Amino acid sequence: MINISSVIGNIFRDGELQKLEFEKIKISRIELEKRILRRQTDKGTDVGITLDTGFHLHNGDVIGNDETKILIEQIPEKVISIKLKKNSQNLATLLGHIIGNRHRPIGFEDGAVLFPIQADSELEVFERLFKEIIEDIELEIEEKLFLPHTSADVHEH
Amino acid sequence: MNHIPRIGIGGPVGSGKSMLIERLVPMLAKIGYSISIISNDVISKEDADRMRTNLATKRGLLPENMVIGLATGGCPHTAVREDPSMNLSIIEEMEENHPELDLIIIESGGDNITTTFSPILADYFMYIIDVAGGDKYPRKGGLGIESCDLLVINKIDLAELVGANLESMKKDAEKIRKEKPFEFINCKTDQGVKDIVEHIIHDVLFDLPPKSIRSEKVQI
Repeated sequence: MINISSVIGNIFRDGELQKLEFEKIKISRIELEKRILRRQTDKGTDVGITLDTGFHLHNGDVIGNDETKILIEQIPEKVISIKLKKNSQNLATLLGHIIGNRHRPIGFEDGAVLFPIQADSELEVFERLFKEIIEDIELEIEEKLFLPHTSADVHEH
Repeated sequence: MNHIPRIGIGGPVGSGKSMLIERLVPMLAKIGYSISIISNDVISKEDADRMRTNLATKRGLLPENMVIGLATGGCPHTAVREDPSMNLSIIEEMEENHPELDLIIIESGGDNITTTFSPILADYFMYIIDVAGGDKYPRKGGLGIESCDLLVINKIDLAELVGANLESMKKDAEKIRKEKPFEFINCKTDQGVKDIVEHIIHDVLFDLPPKSIRSEKVQI
């Protein structure tokens, strides 16, 4: 087993890393938040990851040792994407309040707010929750990489 | 500070969370692992008291003060997910005062199918259901069943009595869990419990032997 205790870098921030040859580990967003993780790469290498308290993996992180470099790839998931039809502070605040009440992490992309769901059936739930503002928003389900906003990926009091 | 690996165990009322802990701890302690237990419940500390009596007082498998009951005063799932601060403060104290511990097991009191553990609190999450709750359980999914690291299906000895089809539970679990593991167990006889121990040692402890005798790879 290769023991990993730190991240070398991230291919989206360090162009030099993109030139390396990688083995890959595909993991879900929820698993990315873990501090301790044991997985096999696509080439069958056994990897045990133990990061310091407060650290976790991100999509594009590179881990490994002198011989083997491993790329962490996040698996796409179902998200609800919402765009506001009009520019209104009250509307945006209310939307944030409703999503926050469900303790969902949020992300932003192309003017839309995104949050993860588990099943298409949740669309019905959120349409009901948003009933007061449903005419003022565009709401759809997409399958994509969900990248939580850094201040909203962990819920602490 | 030394971070002691933490396992969260959640699942519905009566599914066998405390009983599973009572079966796991003797097997892990026999190998030499030093363990502490935190049991979350709404107002009662009955589960913690029972585990303390059975594991510490009667069998001496761990010190009595290593079984801690936490009355959350509200839905236990909030104390392990939304606001784990009460649990974290206990753990920080343990990490400070008991660095010899190999593992901390955190039980979330009886709760619903959306129970999960905050990754800040638990490094590994087991969700336990039982066949008496109906063989539809794995099929229905839910955050706990789908996202946990290990799904445990308990009380398989009752399947025939309650008309639960284990084969269909297996197929549903395979479908909903994809490549993630699940295990069928019977805590009354320890059937399948050794498999859970193996998951813990492999996935959480990375096959390291107990801190007290750390030398070579552990033999179960």
